Amino acid sequence: MAELTYREAVAAGIAQEMARDDRVVMLGEDIADAGGVFKTTVGLLERFGPRRVRDTPISEQAIVGAAMGAAMTGLIPIAEIMFSDFFAVCWDMIANEIAKARYMTAGQMALPLVIRTANGAGSRFGAQHSQSVENWAMAIPGLKVVAPATPADVKGLMAAAVRDPDPVIFFEHKGLFATKGEVPDGEHVDRLGTARVLRQGSDVTLVALAAMVPRALDAAERLDREHRISATVVDVRSLVPLDTQTILAEVTRTGRMYTVEENPRLCGWGAELVSIVAEERFYDLDGPIIRITTPHVPLPAADALEDHAVPTVARIVDTVVRTAG
Amino acid sequence: MDVVMPQLGETVREGTISAWRKQVGDPVGPDEPLFEVETDKVTVDVPAPAAGVLVEILVPVGERVEVGTRLAVIRVPGEAMFAMRGPGARVVTLSSARPTVPAMPVAIAEASPALDPPRTTGRITMPAIPTAIARAVGAELRLSPVVKRLIAEHHIDDPSVIPGTGAEGRITRDDVLAYVESRGAASGGGEPPAESLVPMSRIRQLTAEHMVRSLATSPHVLQAVEVDFHAVERLRGAAGEAFRAREGFSLSYLPFVARAVCQAIPEFPHVNASVRGDALVVHHRVHLGIAVDLDRQGLVVPVVKGAAGKTVRALAVEIHRLADRARRGQLAPDDLTEGTYTISNSGPFGTLITAPIIHQPQVAILSTDGVRKRPVVIERPAADGSAGGETSAGGETSAGGETSAGGETIDAIEIRPVGVLAQCFDHRAFDGAYSAAFLRRVREILEQANFEAELT
Amino acid sequence: MTSSSDIDGSTRFALYRSLLEIRVVEKRAYDLFLHNLVKGTSHLALGQEAVAAGFAVAMRPDDYTFCTYRGHHHTLARGAPMVGVLGELMGRKCGLMAGKGGSMHLTSVRHGVMGSYAIVGAHLPVAAGAAWSAQYRGTDQVAVCFFGDGTTNIGAFHEALNLAVVWKLPVIFVCENNLYMEYTPIASVTAVEHPAADRAAAYGLPRVIVDGNDADAVFRLARDTIAAARAGGGPALIEAKTYRHSGHSRADPAKYRPPGELEDWLRRDPVTLYRTRLLEAGISEAALRDVELATQGAVDAATEAAKASPPAPVEVVEQDVWSDGGSAWRN
Repeated sequence: MAELTYREAVAAGIAQEMARDDRVVMLGEDIADAGGVFKTTVGLLERFGPRRVRDTPISEQAIVGAAMGAAMTGLIPIAEIMFSDFFAVCWDMIANEIAKARYMTAGQMALPLVIRTANGAGSRFGAQHSQSVENWAMAIPGLKVVAPATPADVKGLMAAAVRDPDPVIFFEHKGLFATKGEVPDGEHVDRLGTARVLRQGSDVTLVALAAMVPRALDAAERLDREHRISATVVDVRSLVPLDTQTILAEVTRTGRMYTVEENPRLCGWGAELVSIVAEERFYDLDGPIIRITTPHVPLPAADALEDHAVPTVARIVDTVVRTAG
Repeated sequence: MDVVMPQLGETVREGTISAWRKQVGDPVGPDEPLFEVETDKVTVDVPAPAAGVLVEILVPVGERVEVGTRLAVIRVPGEAMFAMRGPGARVVTLSSARPTVPAMPVAIAEASPALDPPRTTGRITMPAIPTAIARAVGAELRLSPVVKRLIAEHHIDDPSVIPGTGAEGRITRDDVLAYVESRGAASGGGEPPAESLVPMSRIRQLTAEHMVRSLATSPHVLQAVEVDFHAVERLRGAAGEAFRAREGFSLSYLPFVARAVCQAIPEFPHVNASVRGDALVVHHRVHLGIAVDLDRQGLVVPVVKGAAGKTVRALAVEIHRLADRARRGQLAPDDLTEGTYTISNSGPFGTLITAPIIHQPQVAILSTDGVRKRPVVIERPAADGSAGGETSAGGETSAGGETSAGGETIDAIEIRPVGVLAQCFDHRAFDGAYSAAFLRRVREILEQANFEAELT
Repeated sequence: MTSSSDIDGSTRFALYRSLLEIRVVEKRAYDLFLHNLVKGTSHLALGQEAVAAGFAVAMRPDDYTFCTYRGHHHTLARGAPMVGVLGELMGRKCGLMAGKGGSMHLTSVRHGVMGSYAIVGAHLPVAAGAAWSAQYRGTDQVAVCFFGDGTTNIGAFHEALNLAVVWKLPVIFVCENNLYMEYTPIASVTAVEHPAADRAAAYGLPRVIVDGNDADAVFRLARDTIAAARAGGGPALIEAKTYRHSGHSRADPAKYRPPGELEDWLRRDPVTLYRTRLLEAGISEAALRDVELATQGAVDAATEAAKASPPAPVEVVEQDVWSDGGSAWRN
């Protein structure tokens, strides 16, 4: 085991896979010489050379389009879109082209690519550089979507994403880059489509993703200590494929479900999970399912405003306390 | 009108004003909180007793005062500025002072576990009380999907027997599971059990507590009269079918008894009163409580408001309406409050006599029991010299042995519908003679009055 | 329009066969519309056959073709079976993509047809990526990317050209300028006269214009440009002047064309042009007739085979989202 930061784990996961397979190549803005604007690709140019780690112009459509062309002709490209907000600049490539190519060609095309990006709020970058858009990606058939919360999961899920024969959108959370965690030594490969139960409780189940996971854990701690409410915490980790069985099992155990979502209110990833639980576990619910989300607004820039908008530990605790009876 | 410190629990003697919700000059009403009281047991928001304007606050926040202390003054429309008591109540002073018993809704509020403080705040709020009342009268419980499923799976016929520990007394999943486990623990294995545990429903529990308290409060005396319902029966026979066709239900004895009671009360007003401290509060209006059995699952007493002015027909219609709503669990809390006298009708079961328990804070309750054909001795005038065996064709009779002018009377046996009316009264309020005279009057009315005009 | 001896006879025949096949299949596709056997929409390349034939014959089997929703001609020219093309148009099981893609997305990876793309400009970066892949793997494969004049005004065009030049990618960008961006004359919406050729300089590329209706001219240019790219010379941008005989799509009767324009271009029909050239080069009428009959017969046979093929089975609706053949998003 070694302690790595979340950002170090990104580079470590990519390096592990690039070392293993010559077909793995990288492209993106400022990823090579600069090691990435968030320092997530530090050392990769030095280790793997300019043929395999390429800086691009500011051309999101070309970055993602080239990744698609390379993937369909035998390479395994990892393309970076610097801020997930910029997906809006190249959604055609992701949603119309990559997501659909295999289906439209009846399986003739294979697209084993990874698009990785920095997602989420907390950096005071304002509305166009702070969004969480994993729910947009989730809504498009043909894309796999992961959003790890810990350094270990970053490395393991990155490896899994690179090895996955289908397109994977890999959402790193910029608010978590500096966090630290134990990462297994040696080759570490996780599995897409698996959620993790981080804390077992008996009264309510909190289901969270990415930066909301540590907040859910802190909230669970306070709920237990201050209110004698025992909370299970599930880290979803992978939106597509979705580990529905784990989530259903944990919600059934307590009968009460809360989602903690950074997306703005409408159509956040939790809405789909709530729908599944309401349909498949209705007769096990001991109370209404509650979603704890950012309100349906663009994110403000000022630190106090941004912090207020995204679900806080206090808001999670308060919501559960008010409604868990 | 005075606002006084209410009694929020039977043994609660004092309370502290923890907040005034209104300022002097604000309009107040019975549908919003006026002040908040803290006692040892509960913290409650209390509304104004009537709609009006708050004119004076007499007790500040934080002060601890005894029950009954004047806390504030409200000006009620139509009331003189400095009235000392509530409008229209005439006070009769008694020598003995007894603690007052809280009215039924408040008793429910105190007794119901639904008002145990929720986990975090320890506060009981006003909205919880209607919920508790609603639950007490069998209104629909809010059951979550898993609770409904478990109830069905475990064949729990009456979910209200399950103690609820969730918010506002909600039955949670764990509550059902705990109940099932305790139920299962009660039955042993092997031989058929010698006994089984039937948990009391909420209504049962509340009724039990109220009955015990009522007996402990009022010294009960039972008095009864036999009533010849001949006249009533004749009227029922004549007008009953038309009545049923018009109103959609049958005309029973009960509205006649209710009418007779209402007509007798003005002559004996103390039977329509409440004991308060060492005074008797005589109520000027008659709000007649009619005990309704809910399919032998419990008892509720909806109130016919303003019964004194109602004809037999109006009473019949209102009693029917309330009984119907009671059985469908649709009584509102207002339907259950402010009763001043109660009639309990066991008649349909053919009982001989019942000693009912007074519905606090009233001072009397009347039971009507079975009306059956019995042979009775009728004194008839001997005008035509015939003796015995003749029945007079529906003529007026008197049970008192009056003779017709100038003649002797002959004892004859006739078959008459006879029923017992039994009143239990609170011996603090009046004595046996008063009660007996009242009962005599009721009987007279039933046997002699012609209610034909009151059926349309 | 002179015959040239730098193109050998078999190549010429190959070109003519390709031109013919495209022409006959496209006309058949149009007939099948009228009989409601082809559903949805279809963008016919009647009149643009020479661009497809000229490049296809010049390409290696392992070179990559990328084209637009008006891509039947490129797909056929690379050797994709006619029954597969017609079957796809008719939504049959025998279709190239078993009915999953339709007319606008004809793909045959084994023939190097790496997709027909319906979002204008989307495939230009993709073609650049395929070229990058070839460059990375050192296979000297080349990507040839066909698109219309309208594409030159969309953002992805610019991004792809720029990246291709900066990374010196082996990709040939071929603009089939048929004078109309859907229903609008391209001249009225473009800042320059030659929508592709006049932009080449912006990327440091030479200005290249070719008569897109002359199969020989196209072939020559294709051969030379591809060779240069294959040798590591970087990308090229070519503007081929051509014309489409029908409307933008089936729905379009093309009334926006000025009178006489269609007639002028019909006089320059690439198929008849080439036939004349072959006769002038000494190929016999009989030989040409044989090819024509054979092509007609092949198209007829393919048509019947496609018609006989059952409709795509509904089971495929939930297949092939993922490489495991399925579409599951949850357990």
